[in-house]
Amino acid sequence: MEPTTHRKLTVLMVEDEEDTASLLKFLLERASYAVVHAKDGRQAQELVDTIPLPDIVLLDVMLPFLSGLQVLAYIRGNAAWEKVPIVMLTADGSEHDIKRALESGANDYMLKPFNPRELTSRLKRFLAPAA
Amino acid sequence: MFALDHSDLTLRLGSIAVLCIYSFVILLLSGILLLRFIRLAKERRRRKVTEIWRPLLAQCVVEVPGTLPELKPRDHLVFLYLWNHCYESIRGDARAQLNELARRTKSDQFAKQLLHARRLRRQLLAIVTLGHLQERSIWNVLVALLENDNSFLSLVAAKALLNIDAAAAVPLLIPVISRRNDWSPLKIVAMFGTVGADIAADTIAKAACQAAPEIGSRLIRHLAATQSQQGLPPLRALLREGTPPDDIVAACLFLFGECSDPRDVPTVRAHISHPTWYVRLQAASALGKMGIEEDEPLLIKLLDDEHWWVRYRAAEALSNLPWMTAERMSRLCEALSTIESQEHMLPFLAQSNVRQSGLMTVALPRPHSSPSIPEPLPPDASAA
Repeated sequence: MEPTTHRKLTVLMVEDEEDTASLLKFLLERASYAVVHAKDGRQAQELVDTIPLPDIVLLDVMLPFLSGLQVLAYIRGNAAWEKVPIVMLTADGSEHDIKRALESGANDYMLKPFNPRELTSRLKRFLAPAA
Repeated sequence: MFALDHSDLTLRLGSIAVLCIYSFVILLLSGILLLRFIRLAKERRRRKVTEIWRPLLAQCVVEVPGTLPELKPRDHLVFLYLWNHCYESIRGDARAQLNELARRTKSDQFAKQLLHARRLRRQLLAIVTLGHLQERSIWNVLVALLENDNSFLSLVAAKALLNIDAAAAVPLLIPVISRRNDWSPLKIVAMFGTVGADIAADTIAKAACQAAPEIGSRLIRHLAATQSQQGLPPLRALLREGTPPDDIVAACLFLFGECSDPRDVPTVRAHISHPTWYVRLQAASALGKMGIEEDEPLLIKLLDDEHWWVRYRAAEALSNLPWMTAERMSRLCEALSTIESQEHMLPFLAQSNVRQSGLMTVALPRPHSSPSIPEPLPPDASAA
């Protein structure tokens, strides 16, 4: 009988602030996700063109070079990425950003500052936990 | 002989001067190199502290480990910056873990010492840290800082007080907010971020009622940024029971328009014929956002107002009424008695036509809906 292999679920995390990225990476890896990190909009675009499909995208709104909303539009413009869930990270109170993100194809959003438990719960809504 | 002595003296003086210049240049270069060396050493140390503590801080969000690396006093500043950044990135129970970490690394004591530092940056860091730690022992120090001439220091102290005990801080802050014209209204709104929009709105409204007109009107105009209607009752009471200055009245009408509570429509209508032009202007704008069909004649009447800006805003308000289609606006234009009033309506009629034809897909900016953009005041407008 062949041994079953469980693939680790992958998160593409696009976040420019190092401290926040470090914290998010820790929380995601602790929840057994593999994390691919892009530090800005341009790098995110390059990764969208090169990496295999992740299971979910965690995308900050405020990014250097390209904004989170521009990256969102780029991802949704790629047919292969059509069904990948995208969760936007946005500063508290930016209702305008939230509205635009949801209208542009984001599946959900999280406000910053975020609750670490809420982060993993929200991702679980879209993903099954890794074995 | 004498000539020889003289040239010898000149040569000597020249040599001394050259030596002095060379020494000075070498000294300057050495100083620059030394400063550079110190800066690079500081940078290296900062990176080392960050490499050690950044992953630990992330871990502490979940659970504080049993043993922690040693934190030298000279690295404590960098640690505090990282700690505060992490603290402000998260919310909920995780903050309690970070507080535990701070106490175990004796950061509370370090921050109390920093409170008396000469450098402003360090004082600010100390206040922010102790506010996050809800350190009650510095309450009186923070209250005293509310009156500090430096607006950064006083604002940060106010935020720290709210973090420590919001219920006790609010009564202290109301008179301060009403006095300090160096506190930006948007910063005041942001300061209440952790406390909640309703408390923010209520506090700012009460402060505005006590403040001088130029401060009060500014505070009222920015109340819309709290996105809470809790600030309206004190202002309604102020308009009902007192005779506030025109600046305050205009600001209240602006806010009523932004909030569009039907209970305020009679108040707005009552000011449509106010003797002061900028009060009529705000009444017209507000009526455009919250008025009913019966208010249309009131706005049409304002198209013949003596003041240009009042006529302009009345035309804009008419175009913003929900039932005002392009055809209806066109009929209205034809029915207007003066060419001037027609001219005011024409640009809005054109916009409406374009919108209706689907050519304009992007909403035009509405200057009156932004609380941070006040109406322009001509030089002869009287300020309270």
